[in-house]
Formats: sequence, C-alpha cells, structure tokens
Amino acid sequence: MVDKAVPLESLIAGETATVSRITGRCDDVHRLEEFGLRGGSRIRMFRTGNPCILRIGGGKVCLRSDADLRILVERSI
Amino acid sequence: MPPQPPTTAERVITVALVGNPNTGKSTLFSALVGVRQHVGNYPGVTVERKAGHMTLDGRQLEVLDLPGLYSLAPRSRDEMVACEVLLGDFKGLDHAQAVVFVANACNLERSLYLLSQVLELGLPVVLAVNMLDVAADHGIEVDLAALRRRLPIPVVGIQANRRLGLDELRAALAGELDLHAPERMTPFPEAFEREVAQLRSRFETAPVSGGEPPSSGLVRRLLLDAGGYLESDMMARGRLPTGTGNELALARARLAQDGCKVPGVETRARYAWVQEMLDGVVRHPEHDRPSFSDRVDSVLTHRVWGVLAFVMVMVVVFQAVFVGAQPLMDWIELGVEQVGQWVADAMPEGALQSLLQKGVIGGVGAIIVFLPQIAILFLFLAVLEDCGYIARAAYLADRTMARVGLSGKAFIPMLSCFACAVPGIMAARVIENERDRLTTILVAPLLTCSARLPVYALLIAAFIPSWTYLGGVLNLQGLVLAGLYALGIVVAVLAALVMKRTLLRGSTPPFLLELPSYKWPSPRNVAYRVTQRAWQFLRCAGTLIFAVSILVWAALYYPQHPPSVAPLRQARQSLLAEMEHLPPGTPRHDELAEEIAELGHEITGEQQRQSILGHLGRFIEPVVRPLGWDWRIGCAVLASLPAREVVVATMGVIYNLGDDLDHDSEDDLNRLQQKMRAATWDDSDRPVFTTPVALSILVFFALCAQCAATLAVMRQETGTWRWPAFAFTYMTLLAYIGAFITYQIGTWISAGG
Repeated sequence: MVDKAVPLESLIAGETATVSRITGRCDDVHRLEEFGLRGGSRIRMFRTGNPCILRIGGGKVCLRSDADLRILVERSI
Repeated sequence: MPPQPPTTAERVITVALVGNPNTGKSTLFSALVGVRQHVGNYPGVTVERKAGHMTLDGRQLEVLDLPGLYSLAPRSRDEMVACEVLLGDFKGLDHAQAVVFVANACNLERSLYLLSQVLELGLPVVLAVNMLDVAADHGIEVDLAALRRRLPIPVVGIQANRRLGLDELRAALAGELDLHAPERMTPFPEAFEREVAQLRSRFETAPVSGGEPPSSGLVRRLLLDAGGYLESDMMARGRLPTGTGNELALARARLAQDGCKVPGVETRARYAWVQEMLDGVVRHPEHDRPSFSDRVDSVLTHRVWGVLAFVMVMVVVFQAVFVGAQPLMDWIELGVEQVGQWVADAMPEGALQSLLQKGVIGGVGAIIVFLPQIAILFLFLAVLEDCGYIARAAYLADRTMARVGLSGKAFIPMLSCFACAVPGIMAARVIENERDRLTTILVAPLLTCSARLPVYALLIAAFIPSWTYLGGVLNLQGLVLAGLYALGIVVAVLAALVMKRTLLRGSTPPFLLELPSYKWPSPRNVAYRVTQRAWQFLRCAGTLIFAVSILVWAALYYPQHPPSVAPLRQARQSLLAEMEHLPPGTPRHDELAEEIAELGHEITGEQQRQSILGHLGRFIEPVVRPLGWDWRIGCAVLASLPAREVVVATMGVIYNLGDDLDHDSEDDLNRLQQKMRAATWDDSDRPVFTTPVALSILVFFALCAQCAATLAVMRQETGTWRWPAFAFTYMTLLAYIGAFITYQIGTWISAGG
C-alpha cells in the first residue's frame, strides 16, 4: 500500500486535502478532534504558514501546531 | 388544553442555551427574551451569567445563555461552569431543566458532536439549526426533514438574526418541557458502558455529602475527563467517595486494554454516531466557492495588508475617541459648571457650600466629563467583536504572541483589557494552559484600560501642544495618546517574555481559533454592551469616586483657620480696609488690589499646606520629587490607588480649592486644565506642570497597577493573594522607574533645547 500522506504544511494555498491522521500529545490531539479536525475531515488551505488558516466545513479555523503535533493529509486530486 | 396544575405554573423552569461558539446563540437569546435580561456572575466563580425571562404557555422560563463550547470535557474554567450547569450537581449554580441546542448549519458535524454529549445528560433537548441562509450561501444543503427522522429530539430550522422560526422553536420547547426525557442510548462500546455502570453502583453504596450520588451522565464525564478537572472539583466538595481517583485510573487502564483508550474512544464513538446521523442529510458543494468572508479575509489576514489594516483600525478608533467625543464632553462640562455655579449662588459661603461645589461637583464632575470617550471606545470594541474582526486580529497577533511564548488566544482577553482589565482577566479563562493564563493575567493591567483615558485626556489636552501634521490628519495630541497605548503594549510584551522565560516557563501548546464568518454587527448587541459599560462607569463615579472626592476635600479643607494663616488674613483685611477709602483707578488702588490678590494666593497655599492632606503630601514629597511632582500630585496619585480614574477627581478637588484661575487662558481648555496650568510650586512662581512633568505622570499612569478591582479579580482568578501582590509590586516599580526616566530625560532635553 502506498502512503500518499504528506504533512499539512506542504499544502499550498487553495489546495484541498483529507486529513489522514493526527499524532502528538494525547490531549492536544483530542482537542483538535473535538474541534472538528480529525481523520477523514476535508480541509482546504486558505493561508499557509504557522499559524495557518484552514477551511473546515463551512468555516475557517486558525491553527498553530507545535513540534509534537503532526497532521498528515492526503491531497485531493 | 387541560388546565395546568398550579405548582407547575408557578415554578420557574431553567432552560439553558447550549452550542458551539459563533452559532448565533446570543442573538437567539436576545430574540427569545428581549429586554428582560440581566448579566451577572455566578457566585464564587467569575464566569458571566447571562440570564433572561420568557413566558411560554403561561409558564415562567429562565433562559441561560451559556458560554460557547466545543465539548463538555472541561478544560478551561468557562467550560467547567457550562458543564456544571448542565450536569446539575453543583450547589449555588443553576441546574438546567431543559436545553435548547443551537447548531450552526455550516458545521453540523461539530455541533452534533457536542449534541451527542448533551443528549446523555437526560434533559429534554430541542435542536435549533441556525444560519441556514449562510450555509446556503456556501452551497451547503441541509435536509432538515431527514435529520428530524433520525434524531430522537425535535429539530427546528431558525434564522435568529431575522427572528424566523422562533414560534416553531417555542412550540417545540413547550412540548418537550412536559416530557420526562429518558436516559438515551449512548454511542459508546459495551466495554465502556460496563465500566460506567460498575462505577455508578460503587458510588451508590459509598457515602457522599450533598444529596444524590452522581448520575450516569456525570460518571461518564468523570471517566472521560483524563485531565482530572471535574474529578478534583468534585473531590474538593466531598461529592465523591475517597479512592475515586484510583478507581477511575484503574477503569481507564482496563478500557485501554479493551481497545477503548480514553480519551480517543470518545471522539471515535461520537463521530461514528454523528456520521450515521448526517449521512445523506448534509450535502457539501463539489468545489467550495469563495464567499464574501473569503474575499474580505484575503485582505484582512494578509501578512502586509492585514497588519496595515489593523493599524489603521486602531488609529481610527483612538482618533474617534479623542476627537469625536469632544463636542459631547463640552456639553457635559458646561452642565457641570452650571450646576456648580447654581450651588455657589444658592448657598451661603461655608463648609457645606465648599463640600458640594468643590468636593462633590468638582470631583465627580471632573470624571463624568469622560463618559462620551468611554462610550465611544466601547462602541468600537463591541462593533469589531460583533462583526467578527477580533478573531482575525488574534490570528495576526499569534505570530508575535508565539514569539513571546503566548498564543493568539491570549490576544482576545488582552484586547478587552483596552476596555477594562477586569473583564479581560476574566476572559483569560478561555486559555487552557495554566501558565499562559497566569502570564496573561499578570500583564493584562499594563494594557491601557479605559480608566486611564480620562487621565491621559486631561493631561494631554492641557500640556501637549496641538500641532498637526500631514494637513491635519495627524495631531500631536493623538500621537502622544497612541504612544501611551504603544508603551503599555510594549511593556506588557516584555513583561510576558520575561515571565515566560523565568517564573512561568513552559511550552506553548498548539493554538486553535475559529474565524467566524463576517456579519453586520447587531445594533441591539452593540447598544446593550455600550450602555452596560457606561452605566458601570457612572456607578463607579457615583460611589467610589464620590467617596474619595469627599475624603480628599475634607483632608484638604481641614483644619480650617490654622494659626499660620491668621497674620496673612489680618494683613489682607487691613489692606482691604485701606483700599475701600481710595477711589478706583488711582495708582495706589491698583497696587493694593494686586497685593490683596497676592495675599489671597498665599492664604490658599498656606491653608493647603497646613491641611491634613498637605502634611501627608509633604511627608511623601521626597519620594515623588525625583519624578518632578509636587506634593499635590503625589497626594492625587496616592488617593488614586484604589482606582486610577479617581486622580482626575482628586485633582479637580485640589485645584478647585486652590482657586487661582487665570481667566485669560485659552477657551478650549476646561476650568480644571486652566487651573492646573496656573498651578505653581509652593513659595515660587515656577509652574508645576511642565511638559516633562505631565509626561512623567502619564508614563506613571500607563504602567502603575492603580486598580483595586483588578487586583481583587486577579485574586479570584488565581486563588491566591500572591499573584496580585506580585503584579502590584512589579508594576509600581516599573511605573516609578519609567516616570523617573521620562522626567529626567524630558528635563534634560528642554534644558538643552
């Protein structure tokens, strides 16, 4: 099986992707999931950088990750 | 309709409004209860309690607008309160008996996650799906009929801002109130529910104080709350038997072995349920089209244009505060003067007249002049927050804040500190990380609150020349004001940096913030916030400032007729007697008039020096002398320790009693400012208030923690007096050093120039 997952940071503005998995401190990951950012969420990069702005569902979210938190996504074609 | 039994008709039913932030909860709240609302605090905790009343089918409902939540897992103090109100296990707090759940149609998935938590609490719930119009703009289609068939609760589509669907919502709520909601099925795996049942039976046999053993909804939350917030809170109140912590840990360990690791099991189980509920209900567009908000955001969150726009917004706000409020302030000033004159004319000369005219009207009048500025500042802040801009500012600020070691989340409480540090410090509750929260609280009072504005306005208008640049766009007075705001920000940033590197060292957690869609600010919300703050300001003027004004007046007025004044008075009397015999216009007459005025000046000065406040002032004068202050300023600053805006009133009293007004001064200054300009050092004609002195006072007020309310709320939020004591010490030191440097450099420059 080919893993096409790339880090969130590699998306450019306007690209859409699906979150494949989030790893990091348990509590941080849980918080992200409760916020709606979890495996399977469709996102679109609105503004890159750290913090970045993502589009999730109908809304926009500002997110700054730290060294422990890794969000892997699969680009939509 | 069968008649209601009288007991139900009289009982007030508590209905909680629950939902994610930015779902239009507060708009719905206003639409439901209208003007019958009041904002207070929960006892013991400082979380804002927003409640209102409505009548439904002859029954009285109390509607609570709970803070916006993403989850019932309490991480911050705000969430804790909402959780407690819903779980209903806490004395002194309200216990919700029904829930109106407000969901945002644009993000039903996240809303339903929280809903699944709320459904387990065994309360009657009505789901109100709001913002269907916004969703339609985004091309998101929601099939409410299908959702209604799947969910076990009534589902109503509403548009809170246009007051659509409210009748249906009321009807659905009325129908639900009569039902006894069953304990609903939970989406958790069997192994998890087994642990819940086991723990629950354990609690039933163990003795706990304060009523019923915890419900299964509460037990479920206890088990999921790996952070232990809920547990420690309930333990502290004796609501859990000893050894519960151990048992919860064991249960979690068993669950981890069964593949139900806490807290991951919760999101997995609940999102599976959400998916099942929403399958085929919500249709997202193939390609999302850029919305109005996107187009605005492409400018306002831009690295260059966004920052530029932010700076421009701030400049406009401060210019409006300073320039826009002027006509209104002039009117109030005129009114205060009229009343003072009227009192002076109507009453015989003496202590009572002096108290009313100089003490009360001089003191309180000096401060209420600034009401328009406070109102304008809050008007702008309320508009910016209501339209959704504040979150963008937090995004822009996060990059900088992260460098200091804080998150953009700390920016929002800090921004409200520009209005007042008290709500700002309370708003720091949204910060989950305890060290970040403490740092935010400790630097919060450095940011320029609206109470500093009267002090700034008074001194700037009197002592900073009104030079304009760029064809009148920029005014030196406005620039100095902006500079003082900048000073507060820079020092706050540096203080936070130092604290995060030393006392409160710790990592910066990931930062998450929702950027709500832009919308037109609701005039109702804005008007409500402005009047609320204006009223608070007036109440402060009517109580604390009133009391301090009288105290300062008394300390300056008594003892009346000290011995050292008697010879001066005698000399003045004899000169007056001599002058009476001379025709006006002769050289000797003019000479005498001048001498009499001189003596009057000396009498007032001596009277003040010999007063209680004068003695106290001269005692502290050596301390404030290096800052360029005379004893009067020292006293005014000392008297303003409980609340910094008091200084304006205190100066009003001190310089009103002084009464050496030069009537030829410019007309655009008010009486107090003219009197301050005329003030001289004792025993000389050297004016007290030079530009360096005014700047030194300004810098002192920019940095000093003169606010008892702030220190008290700090104590409340940190649970110890240690932190407010620390904040007071470091800020006072900074203020003193800052004022010292300002005065010394200012004097050096003006001497050199």
